[in-house]
Amino acid sequence: MSIRERLPGIVEGEDGRRLRLTGRLVLTSRQAAGGLLLALFLLALPDITRLSDSLQLSVFHQGVLFGIAAVGLNLLLRHTKLVSFGHAAFFGGGAYTTAVLATNFGVNEFLLLLVPAIAVATVLAAVIGALSLRHTGLYFSLLTLAFGMLLFSVVEGNDQFFGGTDGLPIRPDPAGRPLLFGAELGPEVYGILLYYLTLVVLIVALLGMWRLVNSPFGQALDAIGQNRTRARFIGVPVERYVWVAFVISGVYGGAAGAIYAILQLQIDPNGTLFFLRSGDILFMAILGGFQTLVGPVVGGIVLVFVQDVGQDFTRFFNFVTGFVLLLLVFGFPRGIVGTLGRGTGLLDKDGTDEQDSGDLRGAD
Amino acid sequence: MSLDFTLPLVALQLGGPEIWVTRTLNGLQAGFILFLIASGLTIVLGILDVLNLAHGELYALGAYVAFTVFGGLIGLIAPSGGDPMALLFLFVLLALGAAAVSAAVVVPVGAALEAVFFRVGGIYERDEVYQLVLTFGLLLIMNDLIKAIWGPSSVRVAGVYSGINAIPVASLVGLNYPTFNIVVIVVGAVVAGALFYFFNRTKTGRIIRATAINREMATAIGVDTDRVFTLVFALGAFFAGFAGAMVLPRTSASLEMGVEPLVLSFVVIVIGGLGSLRGALVGALLVGLVENWAIALNPAVETAAPYAIMAIVLLVKPEGLYGTWGERT
Repeated sequence: MSIRERLPGIVEGEDGRRLRLTGRLVLTSRQAAGGLLLALFLLALPDITRLSDSLQLSVFHQGVLFGIAAVGLNLLLRHTKLVSFGHAAFFGGGAYTTAVLATNFGVNEFLLLLVPAIAVATVLAAVIGALSLRHTGLYFSLLTLAFGMLLFSVVEGNDQFFGGTDGLPIRPDPAGRPLLFGAELGPEVYGILLYYLTLVVLIVALLGMWRLVNSPFGQALDAIGQNRTRARFIGVPVERYVWVAFVISGVYGGAAGAIYAILQLQIDPNGTLFFLRSGDILFMAILGGFQTLVGPVVGGIVLVFVQDVGQDFTRFFNFVTGFVLLLLVFGFPRGIVGTLGRGTGLLDKDGTDEQDSGDLRGAD
Repeated sequence: MSLDFTLPLVALQLGGPEIWVTRTLNGLQAGFILFLIASGLTIVLGILDVLNLAHGELYALGAYVAFTVFGGLIGLIAPSGGDPMALLFLFVLLALGAAAVSAAVVVPVGAALEAVFFRVGGIYERDEVYQLVLTFGLLLIMNDLIKAIWGPSSVRVAGVYSGINAIPVASLVGLNYPTFNIVVIVVGAVVAGALFYFFNRTKTGRIIRATAINREMATAIGVDTDRVFTLVFALGAFFAGFAGAMVLPRTSASLEMGVEPLVLSFVVIVIGGLGSLRGALVGALLVGLVENWAIALNPAVETAAPYAIMAIVLLVKPEGLYGTWGERT
């Protein structure tokens, strides 16, 4: 590839103009427009939420964080066709590591809270992955769910260390909230700065995921998702690759959970570790469009927003969420981003793919 | 200085043999209720290949319908006095009747869900993630419909429970144990026996198993799989609703009641083997017993115990205790 073919600019594709950002990151016009809109929206969000009292930055912030976890889960869902129903374990694991460090050990600094949380989530994912990945299909989903619930009951049942059902505050002395790079900030500045830090993490997460799924490793995961036996025949170390993918997806959850705890300043088992949170993370990925890269982020923002607005709007906000999920299944199975970007080159995989639905009674 | 070898945490709460008998009975009772719920989930999973997340809401619906039915019935018989054994008989009949009515109300709901959302909606042919999204959406919707009909706070009927417990059957063998719980154990055992009989001995049961083993072959020999699917789903709904009605007199019906049995049913299915009825029975009793025995050690152990058993089973026997549904029940 000559240097000319790698410079950013407008290029002519087979089916129209495309925008090239780097050598391999080439976007169709729809993708470029959608991406630009999303980026502008996210950047301007602190100002947008000032327009109305009913909009809250922290709600969107939570949506972005759950979205990051969903991006991680989507690595398994989209490429290896494994449906994890226990990603709250990593989200909550990250959140609780942060809380325990802040409350029980007085750790006070954003990065010193984030890095150990990611480490713990990595270890959790390594163990749970090694045990759950012995199976595929629904059995795998059940196993991840059960391990998530095991973690949930351990945390919920321990009052001394994890605060039981009440959970833990993340309010180390003396600031009352963690320092962001040494700076002690007021509540509003803290919220906004943390939000932009989250956006940095989001960009790193998305770029990292993009590199990963377009690497030979990502291609191998695709092969595994399509047919494990054939992938094994062509020499892909299936078990090891799937395990690595599982651990990576857990890292995303851990990072998101840690920032969630630093944002909320108070966490409890129901909000972070309960199996319904695992379900939320999964449904965000599907709602946004699990055959796309940024879909899970959009799904996260939309689902958290719908739940929050629904709560203000009606007593029956579960009904609203349930209705959105039914619409998703029967109306737009490709998800929000998948539907909007329909017909573009990168999105030609049908969300309702028939041949590859996992075999229930364990293919191997 | 003398050495003290007692373990205070364990020793303090171990108690006498009578407590252990009570705990075992509690465990059996919880186990049979769990079996009623998990059996429905496991046969739906084994035959339809659908993990129905809304199954717990069918259980909750059964409890709420039973609340309405009991509410109407208790006034009819409460004032009557007379022979205690006749009264016990009457109350048990009432409890069973209400449970049967509730289950009968839940059945059309289940059948309609299967027909409308699964079959007409074409869920069987689609990626399994959509099943999870759909059934979770149904869970949320059913939860709010229950809230709309019966209100957000929990409801209970104690009349039947105290009426039955007024006749202390267990004291015949020198135990102080609620009679209604014994009724639940007996009914649970009878229903479990009936289920095994149904799947092993009756024609319909065998057709369902044949469909589970090989759907295409079953179609080829003239089995209407659409009907089998609806029947299986309705059957699962029936037992979930029945279980909900059976627990109502003892506890209360609340909006959150469907979640825990649902998750524990997953554990039971993993322990027993995916789609295995016998596995569901053994798994449910195991979970119920171990949970209630574990209370003696530490309340926190109680909630973690089922998942710990599951992890052990997985490590020792990854396919579950009884493998998959089909050749054996």
